[in-house]
Amino acid sequence: MDLNPIKDAFAHIAKRQKLSSSKAEEAIDQVMQEIEKALEILESSDSSSEFVYKSAIGELKKKLQDISPISQLEGTQKELNMALSKYPKQLEKSFHPDISKTCRNIGFDVHTVNQVIGRHFYRLGLFSIGDCFINEAKESESTVTVRSMFSEMYLIVEAMKDRNLEPAIKWAAANSNKLKENGSDLQLKLHRLQFLEILQNGRRGESLTYARTHFAPFAANHFGEIQKLMACLLWSGKLDHSPYSEFLSPANWNRVADELTRQFCYLLGQSFESPLSVTIAAGFQGLPPLLKFMNVMAGKKLEWQSMKQLPVPMELDKEFQFHPIFVCPVSKEQSSDENPPMLMSCGHVLCKQSVNKMSKNSSKTFKCPYCPSDIDAAQCRQLYF
Amino acid sequence: MEMDSLPNGNAAASIPAGTTRISPTHTTPSSKLTQLTESLKLEHQFLRVPFEHYKKTIRANHRTVEKEVSSVIAGVSDAADSDMSKDDAFQHLTSLVSRLQGLKRKLEEGSRTEHLQAQRCRARLDHLESVDAENFSEWSNTRLKRILVDYMLRMSYYDTGLKLAESSNMLDLVDIDVFQEARKVIDALQNREVAPALAWCADNKSRLKKSKSKFEFQLRLQEFIELVRAENNMRAIAYARKYLAPWGATHMKELQRVMATLAFKSHTECATYKVLFEPKQWDYLVDQFKQEFCRLYGMTLEPLLNIYLQAGLSALKTPYCYEDDCTKEDPLSQESFRKLALPLPYSKQHHSKLVCYITKELMDTENPPQVLPNGYVYSAKALEEMAKKNNGKITCPRTGFVCNYSEVVKAYIS
Repeated sequence: MDLNPIKDAFAHIAKRQKLSSSKAEEAIDQVMQEIEKALEILESSDSSSEFVYKSAIGELKKKLQDISPISQLEGTQKELNMALSKYPKQLEKSFHPDISKTCRNIGFDVHTVNQVIGRHFYRLGLFSIGDCFINEAKESESTVTVRSMFSEMYLIVEAMKDRNLEPAIKWAAANSNKLKENGSDLQLKLHRLQFLEILQNGRRGESLTYARTHFAPFAANHFGEIQKLMACLLWSGKLDHSPYSEFLSPANWNRVADELTRQFCYLLGQSFESPLSVTIAAGFQGLPPLLKFMNVMAGKKLEWQSMKQLPVPMELDKEFQFHPIFVCPVSKEQSSDENPPMLMSCGHVLCKQSVNKMSKNSSKTFKCPYCPSDIDAAQCRQLYF
Repeated sequence: MEMDSLPNGNAAASIPAGTTRISPTHTTPSSKLTQLTESLKLEHQFLRVPFEHYKKTIRANHRTVEKEVSSVIAGVSDAADSDMSKDDAFQHLTSLVSRLQGLKRKLEEGSRTEHLQAQRCRARLDHLESVDAENFSEWSNTRLKRILVDYMLRMSYYDTGLKLAESSNMLDLVDIDVFQEARKVIDALQNREVAPALAWCADNKSRLKKSKSKFEFQLRLQEFIELVRAENNMRAIAYARKYLAPWGATHMKELQRVMATLAFKSHTECATYKVLFEPKQWDYLVDQFKQEFCRLYGMTLEPLLNIYLQAGLSALKTPYCYEDDCTKEDPLSQESFRKLALPLPYSKQHHSKLVCYITKELMDTENPPQVLPNGYVYSAKALEEMAKKNNGKITCPRTGFVCNYSEVVKAYIS
């Protein structure tokens, strides 16, 4: 988006404003000078001559009328005012002036929204801001448990940042069964980091003992990796020049911390990303097509308030795709339990209603809309995504 | 579900394309760019509010100069036309000079404020310009924080708003000082004081008039009601003559209704009048004020957060979100989000987008969907991996069905 015209327009305003205020200053100075001149005359004149000072003030009055400082300011002020009233119009033209017209009059429940926000702060580890918010919004009851869950997580992650793996290893050990169920080898990854840390500190013997105690349970499934780690023992002291130098990359620590956060959230029944962040990001992608639609629909506001499904598709990035969506290429309808997707013998997929329609309720074969194959409805198989 | 309403001519897009491939779902860099431009276009308020603030300061400063200079000139005229003694005249002129000096100091201070506000306007333009593909995720995080601060300020959670803005070092990107002005009025209204609100109306008289606002009238009505409540009838009548009568031409009905309370009194059981004495009238005034305030500064009437939440929830809402096995990563798996999304429409899809049950990855030409003999579909990647690990055997994770990898067939989804 080219913001330069707007920047130029603003620079113009700022320039006019500077000009206008220096003009004002000039005018004030001028008036002041004239008054001071008159004062000088008053001071120097003979105290007895009333005529002199009267005429001096009369002169001053006339001069000020001649200068007419107010009308002097008018010119520059007018130009500034013009620029000031043009700029908002330009903004309205380049941006959507009112994005709230896509809103339904549903009035979100403030309590629910506040809860969502409070959790968001805690999820991101912004505990002091979260506390402040919960306090101000008076939502203390509902978020206490969330807070304590995430504060445990951040204690572990913060410790990892200081290269202290103990809390992480302890947590992983306590949840080792659940982690295994999820197919996560977090425990091994943590032990690996610890092992390398000990080795890097030059305590070879200790690292060997560590490996013996902690790697053994993983030997069955991760034999290859453990072999590599044991080979590291031979490179003790010069590991950074070894074929295994990648083990030392600090990125490993971040990756493991990420994995831990992911697993921690998963076990809590929470998402890895803050749901508020995800929703708002989706909103940013979804709003433009919705606004376009509202502009077209301008006259039919009522309809919008009651629609069950959006009238326009919002193309979201794939990170927002949480469910498989099948749209029948013939009927353009989304599949459902009543109208499931059907695999035809040629490998193309239509939904059941379309297959029924095209086969006249299975009474005849039909041509696949995509390839020359003849399709027998009886041969079609239902798919489960 | 209704799925057949296609009001604005998408017929062209609904003709099945004659390909056996999955439509490309990856966004190309150029479409990423248009997406970015489109979302920047949503930032009207972000630029408008500091500008309105700047404009207000400029106008106020200019008015001060005009007023002071005119009154100094008038002072000189007075001195010239009167019979002051010389000493008096001397003193008078000296006082005018010091008045002008005072004005100059004020002007300098005003210029500093103007300068800071102009700086803020520029900072916002720069912030919008600074976004690109590399810093996009960080920029989006800031954007969410901006939206949250906007919410805090509108809901009067000022401490949280300030704290969040300070901790993220983005005071120039949020409107905390603009809301200071609102805070005074709102606090007073909550304490049942009208004066600051009336002062605010006087400050913004011309613009309120332009938008045909009746907020001042509503404040006056409330003051009148309070007089009636205190059974101060004579004062109430005098007040009505002075402050309510001018609104008679445009708002006669409301005026008559309120005047009738003189007869009904505050303890009336008649619903039409009883409601006027309820405390919620004050909350209503606060809401009214917030709306006028937002309008004046070019803000949306709804908090930004609500606008984006509505759009985002609609975009994400599918019938699958409400099923028990909805993935935790979907915000709509959470009770609070489901509750918020309830009155909103479902999203609409024009193209199939298949997500693999196992890997949660998108299935497309690179990673095509494959069908087990039992009809369950998984991505090629997932099945290949499973086959490699288990000597070519595939176990369906949802049904426990076992088959050979060779029995799996490819599905073509368009």
